[in-house]
Amino acid sequence: MNMQTAIQELDKRYSRLVGTSATNLCTHCGWCIEACHIYQATGDPEMSPVAKAERVRRVLRRKHDWTSKVFPFWTGAKDLTEQELNEWEELAFRNCTLCERCVVNCPMCVETPQIIGAVRGTLTALGKGPEILDQLADSAIWREEAVDELKGAFLEQIGELEKQVQDRLGNPQARIPVDQPADKLYVPLSGAHTIVPPAVIFNAVGESWTMSLFEAANNALFLGDIPRAKRITQRILKEAERLNVKEIVVAECGHAYAVLRWEAPKWFGGPLKFKVRSILEVIDDYVRDGRLKLDPTRNPEPVTYHDPCNLGRKGGILEEPRRVLRAAVMDFRDMTPNRWENYCCGGGGGLVANEDWKDFRLTAGKVKADQIRQTGATVAATSCDNCLIQITDVVDHYKLGAKVTTVSQLVTNALVT
Amino acid sequence: MSNLQIIHFVEYELQAIALVWMVTVYAIKLYKLCCLPMPWEKAPARGSARRGAASSYASILNPWSRESSREHKGRWLEFGLYHVGALAAIVNTFTYPFAPQLMTDPVKLVFAALIAPAMVVGLIKLGRRIVRPELRIVSTPDDYFALVSLQLFFFFAVMALLVGTPSWQLAYFLVTALFLFYVPFSKISHYIYFFFSHYLTGRRYGWRGVPSGGIAR
Repeated sequence: MNMQTAIQELDKRYSRLVGTSATNLCTHCGWCIEACHIYQATGDPEMSPVAKAERVRRVLRRKHDWTSKVFPFWTGAKDLTEQELNEWEELAFRNCTLCERCVVNCPMCVETPQIIGAVRGTLTALGKGPEILDQLADSAIWREEAVDELKGAFLEQIGELEKQVQDRLGNPQARIPVDQPADKLYVPLSGAHTIVPPAVIFNAVGESWTMSLFEAANNALFLGDIPRAKRITQRILKEAERLNVKEIVVAECGHAYAVLRWEAPKWFGGPLKFKVRSILEVIDDYVRDGRLKLDPTRNPEPVTYHDPCNLGRKGGILEEPRRVLRAAVMDFRDMTPNRWENYCCGGGGGLVANEDWKDFRLTAGKVKADQIRQTGATVAATSCDNCLIQITDVVDHYKLGAKVTTVSQLVTNALVT
Repeated sequence: MSNLQIIHFVEYELQAIALVWMVTVYAIKLYKLCCLPMPWEKAPARGSARRGAASSYASILNPWSRESSREHKGRWLEFGLYHVGALAAIVNTFTYPFAPQLMTDPVKLVFAALIAPAMVVGLIKLGRRIVRPELRIVSTPDDYFALVSLQLFFFFAVMALLVGTPSWQLAYFLVTALFLFYVPFSKISHYIYFFFSHYLTGRRYGWRGVPSGGIAR
């Protein structure tokens, strides 16, 4: 590997946010250390946010900091070596889930996830990103290319799910429209659990909606591969434009919401033509407007809620799920800490997709397991598919004996038809 | 050059040169930083960027605003004492030569009382950096030098204020001048980037309606 190429790739991602955090902003004070769930779970000093960022900062300083160029030993600056680059793979893709908990706990606002994100993009450009994320990103692009061939089988599957929606509502007229002009374009994930509950809710309120032919997941974001992430996003934007919808509604998925709500306007040079909201915000509106009638006695167990980092700390969706859950369940209990201070589940940043790192993410999930246990809840709800998978595994691994579900599923349980 | 002329030179001309140097280096560094691409938010806002930035700046004064200070109030107190002491020592470099009439004995005592606790905190910080593995593995010679040189700066400031003999004054202003030359190249310059980073991060959280610090929304 030519280290010059690696440095050039890293330089391409040296933005003002990375540059600010890579200079002398960090005083190595250590306030961020305990903020990291991975450090807390492992107790390994190398897993603290400052230690992880410093591994990269030392290389960036060598290139960009005057003192480090002349006296590298003084600032600990280092030239990038092949060994270091190889070690960065675990550093960037396994040891940091980009949850930003360190950022909100840093008195200097050091943006460690921006630094780690730049490394992810660099490694991906050098062909060193995790293979599974690469394949998932490519398959999303392939799905667009093969959409005409896949459409028939997809509609057949949706027809099966439509029956479940009709049964739940006792209404043979209930539909899961796909690729139809409507006000709202709902973008699901792969899996019936992200299709049936929202379909029940949309039908219950009589919404003008249609479902996307594509799924919202965008694994290129985890790779830091912006050109591919744009390509994946563009499928949905083109579909929304073609169907002339007013709004894109994103499934319960943290990173997909982040992509469509916050990142896409940056990538495409300005606000999108459509409003973008999470399904949580839409359900919250239905509940507040009285369009959804919920009976909380149908969810009698104590329920807690895990704030996905991309929706909560990075997206501001904090009160909506709580309002919805208070209306849909009898006994809602917040975790401590919660909202923008909530701990990552341990599976974020694409970690959950990588089977090789399962043991690591289960170790990292100990903090979340302790949080759930402390609430005494027997149901753990969340609004992100990656979190859902991780928390299901964590609940099983730490023998918490809790059920794990989504907010929309609890709403569907409580729905009075 | 007589001793008095040397002290005068160190207190005035040398300080001015060092200050101009420091400001010039900072200006170049910040200009270079501003030339880097910035991915500003372009989506419709959920909250207020301005309130977010204001909240971010204000959060530093509020130990309850973030878990890392809320659950470690001693740490926040150390942080406060250290920076108040540093501020007092810096202000003193201006008031001492330029407003000597203000520097009455009680005022000098107040300044010394603000700076002295910072010295104690400095020793604690140095000890912690050496003892705690999490801090030791990220520490560089620059980190240790910054702490030690600030200890010297505080020490000479207190001695110049309380003893006030020409030799203590000379030592204080010499250390100050050296400091001004060195600071832009060391981690001590973090305070300049503080304003930058809190603006950028606070603005983003505010824009997205994340009430970090408690008042962004």
